[in-house]
Order: sequence, then C-alpha cells, then structure tokens
Amino acid sequence: MHHELKFIKEEVEKRALNETDKEIIEKSILDGIETAWDRLYKQQPQCGFGLLGVCCNRCVLGPCRIDPFGGEPQRGVCGATSDLIVARNLLDTLATGAAAHSDHGREVLEVLLHTAEGKSQGYQITDEEKLKAVAEDYGIKIEGRTKEEIAKELAVAMLEEFGTLTHGIKFVDARVPEKTKQMWQKLSIVPRSVDREIVEAMHRVQMGVDSDYVNILLHALRTALSDGWGGSMMATDCSDILFGTPTPKTSIFNLSVLSKDKVNVILHGHNPILSEMIVKASEDPEILKLAEQKGAKGINLAGMCCTGNELLMRKGVPIAGTLLDQELAIVTGAVEAMIIDYQCIFPSITFTASCYHTKVISTSSKAKFPGAIHMEFNPASAYDTAKQILRIAVENFPNRNPDRVKIPEKPMKVMAGFSEEVIRKALGGSYKPLIDLIVSGKIKGAVGIVGCNNPKIKMDYGHVTLAKELIKRDILVVETGCSAVACGKAGLLQPEAADIAGEGLKQVCKTLGIPPVLHMGSCVDCSRILVMASKIAKELGVGIEDLPLGGAAPEWYSQKAVSIGSYFVASGVYTVLGIPPTVMGSKNVVELLTDKIKGLTNSAFAVEPDPLKAADLLESEIMRKRKALGI
Amino acid sequence: MKGVMVNLSRCIGCRHCEIACAVAHSQTKNLLTMIRETPVSFPRIFVETGINFLTFPNRCRHCEPAPCMQVCPTHALYREEKTGSVVVNYERCINCIACSIACPFGVIQFKQVHGVSRTVNAKCDNCIERQNKGEIPACVEACKTGALEFGDINELIRTSRKDFTVRIIKSQGAEVEVPKIPEHITAWRNILEKIAHEGPFKL
Repeated sequence: MHHELKFIKEEVEKRALNETDKEIIEKSILDGIETAWDRLYKQQPQCGFGLLGVCCNRCVLGPCRIDPFGGEPQRGVCGATSDLIVARNLLDTLATGAAAHSDHGREVLEVLLHTAEGKSQGYQITDEEKLKAVAEDYGIKIEGRTKEEIAKELAVAMLEEFGTLTHGIKFVDARVPEKTKQMWQKLSIVPRSVDREIVEAMHRVQMGVDSDYVNILLHALRTALSDGWGGSMMATDCSDILFGTPTPKTSIFNLSVLSKDKVNVILHGHNPILSEMIVKASEDPEILKLAEQKGAKGINLAGMCCTGNELLMRKGVPIAGTLLDQELAIVTGAVEAMIIDYQCIFPSITFTASCYHTKVISTSSKAKFPGAIHMEFNPASAYDTAKQILRIAVENFPNRNPDRVKIPEKPMKVMAGFSEEVIRKALGGSYKPLIDLIVSGKIKGAVGIVGCNNPKIKMDYGHVTLAKELIKRDILVVETGCSAVACGKAGLLQPEAADIAGEGLKQVCKTLGIPPVLHMGSCVDCSRILVMASKIAKELGVGIEDLPLGGAAPEWYSQKAVSIGSYFVASGVYTVLGIPPTVMGSKNVVELLTDKIKGLTNSAFAVEPDPLKAADLLESEIMRKRKALGI
Repeated sequence: MKGVMVNLSRCIGCRHCEIACAVAHSQTKNLLTMIRETPVSFPRIFVETGINFLTFPNRCRHCEPAPCMQVCPTHALYREEKTGSVVVNYERCINCIACSIACPFGVIQFKQVHGVSRTVNAKCDNCIERQNKGEIPACVEACKTGALEFGDINELIRTSRKDFTVRIIKSQGAEVEVPKIPEHITAWRNILEKIAHEGPFKL
C-alpha cells in the first residue's frame, strides 16, 4: 500500500502544477475514475502518420499515407504529395476551428436580433455606448434612433456578412491598420465573408481542387482572418452589447471555489447566452427558496473553460478551472449540475458524472451528449429554461454524498475584466502612455498567451512558466481562455504578482494597480487583443506587424487554437506553439510556416515545448521589432 | 534463414502491423468482417511507447534454441521446420505460462483463439499460412515506413552493416550518399522528446 501511495503521488506530480488540482487528481486515481491522462496513456503510441499530418482519409481512394522517411509510397492514390496532404489537413483543421468561433458568434447575433425585436426573454441591450461605437464602425445611423433600432440594423448587417455578399467584413475596413490591410491585399487574403471562407476551405480540400500547398495555406490564413476579425470579433462585441463590456473585478479561481453547503452549479462550454440567464435565475427568490427547502445555503455558480471566462469578465463569477478540470470538478463529489453549451466538453463527461451524483445538462441542439439531460435553449424562453435547469440542480442537492466529497480549501484571488475599452480608459483614453512606456523600454513589448490545456504537457506548467518568464523580462502578458485561468490559479492575475516582474513592468503595474498578466476574456476574446494591437499601431502610424508583440499557445490542443494562431501570424504577430501542429511531415510546409512567411507577414510560427526557450524566442522577436522601429 | 528485422528509427507508432496481424489471424481474413467474429481476432505484435514517445514493434523472434519451447512441459510448442517458426499446438497447451516466464521479449499472451474453448498461448506464428503461399508476414507487408523488413537475415544485416560502413567512411570526409532520416523528421522527433520532458511522459 505504501508503494502504491508513493506511485500515486509521483503520478499526480507529473500531471499537474497546481496544488488544488493535484489534490483532486489524487482523489480521481483513488476513486478509480478514468480521466484524460489515463486515456492519453491508453492511446500510446499515437500514430506517426497522423502526428506528422501525412495521413489523408478524406476520400475512399484512400485512406492514404506517405512514407515520412522518403521511401515509397510518396503519393496518395490521387497523386497528392506529403506537401499537399499536410496542407489540406491543416486547412480542414483550421476551418473547423474558425467555424466553431464564428458559429458561436452567429448565435450571439441572433440573440441580439431577437432582443432588438423584443422577441427574447430576459435579455436586454446593456451597453449602449458599445452598441453605438460598433454601429459607427458599421456606418449605421445613430442619431434620433432607439437602441433597439440600432441593434437590429447592426445584427442584420453582421449576419449578412456571414453570407456571400462581396463587400467584405466591416471590422476589417474599420479596424485594421492601413499598412496591415495592404499586406493582406498584396497576398489576396482579405477575408470576404465569415462563412464563405470556411465553405471555400471545404471546397478546396475536395480531391482535384486546390493542389498547390502554398495556395491552400494562403487560403488558410484568409479563413483564420475571417474568424479573428469576423466571427470571433462579432461574438465579443455583441456579447458586450448584450451583457456589458467587462470592467475590472476581483474573483476567485480553482476547485476550492466549490461550496460545501450550497448547491454547486458548473457552467461549462463557451457561449455566454444561456449562462448569463442562469446567473440571473440564480437570484430568483423561487429558486433560492427551493434551495433552502432542500437544505442548501444557496446557489453557488462556478465557471469552467470559456463560459466561465465570459461570466467572470462581466459578472465576477468564480472559475473552477480549465479544460482538464472538467472531470476533476465532478470528482470532488460536490457538483450538483454541470450545465454545458458547446466546445471543449469531453464526450465522456456524462460517463464521469455517472460515477457521482452530478447531473449533466446539455442546452444546445448542436451539442448533445448521451446520458445528459437535454434542456434546449431558446432565446424566446431563455429565462424559464434557466430556472428549470436550476431547479434540477437544487433538487439534486440531497443526493450529494458527504462521504465522497473533497473540496480543496485554497481559492486563489484574481483580478480580471480587462477589456480593450477598460485598458484604454485607464490609460486616459489613448494608448499614448503605453506607447511611451514601450518606447522608454520600461515595457519591452507584449505577448498574448492563449489556448488550452493538453495532458501531454504538465497541466498549466507551460502557461505559468512562460508568463512568469516574460514578465520577469519586462514583457507585458495579456491572456485569454484556459491560459488566463491557468495563470489565475497560479496567482499571476493579482496586482501583487508584479513583485516578480522586471523593474520596469513592476513599476508600471504598481502605479496603475494592475496585475502584470491581464485577463482579457474567453478564446473568442482574442479579438480584444487584435483590437488593442490595431489601435496602438494606428496611433503610431504603423502596421500590427511592426509592433513588438508576440503570441504563444504553450499547451494548445484544439482546432480553434490553429485558427487563432494563424490569425495572429496573418496579422503580423510571431507565435510560438508548445505542441507541433500536424504538419511536420512536410518539409516545405514547415519551412513556409516557420520561415518563408516572414517575408510576407513579418511574422511566423515557431514550435518550442520548453517554455523558457519559448520566452527566449519571443523576447528576441520583440527586440528585433523594437530595433526596426528604432526604439 | 529468413526472419523479420526491425529498423528501430523508422517505427512511427502507427500500429498498421497490429491491425494487419489481427486480420491475418482472423477467420475471414477481412478487416470489415473480422470485427464481428467470435472470438474476435487480435494482434500478436505489440507497438508500445518507450521513452520520448519512441516506439518498438515487438514480436516473437522465433529463437533457436527457443526458451519457451525448452520449458514447455507438454511439448505444446514445437518448431515448424520449413520456416523455422516456433508454433503452438493449442490442444496440448495447459495455460501454465512457463513459456511466458521464459520468453526474453515478453510477447507471449494467453487468449481465446478460434476453435479452442479455453485460452491458450496465442503467440506469433510467423504467418506460416501466408509464407506457405509465398507471401511475407502480414506485419511486414503492412509496414509503410520500412521499420519491419522480412528476408534472409544475413542479407538484411548486411544492408544495415553497409549503411554503417558508409556512415563511418563519410565521417572521414568521403562524399558518399548516406541513407539518412530526413531533417524535418529528425526535428519532429526532437520536439516529441522535449514534450516528453514537459509532461506526464517524463520518466
């Protein structure tokens, strides 16, 4: 037994960085619960053809694969080489990610439209100032009109941009610096619409369509731009209009946010439209009374993944964790209900939940999970649905088995809510003070660390180590998604974390009372980073590609991250990945993405699993761009 | 003597050999129908991860003398003379696992096979059935990277010896074309090695 415990402790150390996570990972092993780490082990070895991207299974001439060592076969049955197979696979992956972001955006727009038409229940236009600012970008008349009239015209205009109208995406016209836009025009990668690029990507990967890997990769960049400057940006901005633009707030992170005596409800997924209603309904006297009747001291909401980030940014709702915490939250034995919308929800989550009393409640018609209770969300009855869902959670409270409950006891304080608007206002309405700090060298530059967890990397180690290393070097870090949650769990989202920053950055943070790592939102909110970069570039009269910026995804796993990384690079931001995309089977594609692209976008991809070395790469890129700017 | 050579640096862990092995030992010899057979067929070759995500296709080496044969109390294991393969007479196998204890490669497993109601030593039979038809073992045929090669053992060894000789000579400055691993594949292996050091695969 002693030996076994030692083994478990060692295993736990390998899996995660955070102490509260380790506590529950240990419980998961003792409880015999299968988690993503176990499944990763069972998947070993993972197929080398797949890892290298030289497996093509998109038609039944195949499936085909290329000998990566140069022997036969060197072409698929159709004649595709490793360059083409890798490029087609990458475009397919990227288009999946772009579709996920943009389809999320579409749903937000639909709710905005229904709300403007008075057809939704419980929603309102919360941020009129933002509505007007975005409407202005769209050239929509504001004066003498009600907010509903403006919102309706805006929602329709944006929804039209999902189609195939040829006037392009307004955000690209209104927000992208001229120089960056010209760079795209030269490459013919200005996105024409949101859905069109994705559909065209699907067309191009059909056998016998695009057979030139360079041409395919250029379209991949255009598809990514239609996400970053299109679907994702619309998702961010219209969520702000509906629910409010984030402002700084304090909250708490990690699995300790679960309550011993309240009904614990986890809100997991990505879209804020239903979860915002859950937040509202959790204060409904009827629900609170029911909770009391069932012996609970109230309702405790906790976020997970990007639904969590959306609610944290606007409502200060605590976050239980990241991608790899979804199973661990259930393993605490203290979760009455996990409400899911879509994206990054493990298909096995209902299987995990079946080992405890947790009820999984799915809410989207496009994301059903066998074993879940399906309570479909509809804008017209959103509030009623939210109440009904909470009722299920509350009624499940008496089923909690105290003998199987373990909740860590060290919640970590965080400060979040740094929207682009808030950062700009804090600086006095323009980026001049920040630009001055960068010019003076007090801040060398900024890096956006984004993306997921991946059990191949010790959970949070990549994010936290890289963020610490960058702030130490006076590089400001902005974050979204699981990366922000990882750093929050590690205490880096507190103003006090400035103590471990370099002298210059430390001084700036202390003066402004802000953390050295700024939480800017969910993964669609990477668009906030783009907007901030574009505003700084415009003030300087340069392109985004000229700014001393970098991007990183140290623990990414998802197709969405491929799209984000690509719109970063296409926008001129050098991006370091901690895990290689499945492209390493083509020397030409690797060379193009890591080197030749520099001549096109003044940026490139790099792969570096060691976060300390990744920091070196990012710093030297920032120094290169500083030098080019003459600072 | 014919046998299977493993070119370690070329195994990328795709497990094609495992599937082909299972199909070759199924009743219908067809992937799509095999999965519905009872008992369902299974591989006799094992591709497992060692350190740094490196893999090795491990299968019976058909040793001579074979430790498994030597310890088998019921003489269930015997040598098929034509191919030199160590094979099992399922009817004689008593599940004592003495052969597994003796096997230096850990490749003997006990499973239910077609036509026998209990589990038996279900090891690799070197695809005798296929070899008798002039075919090579299914695992080798399935390998698309040249990690598994079948042929006269001394001939296969001679090839790798020649590679080595060329490499040694090249290191002395001779301009000779050396069969080598492509640069981007080496880069990929290096990245995998790094990932192995940042996560749960750290040993």
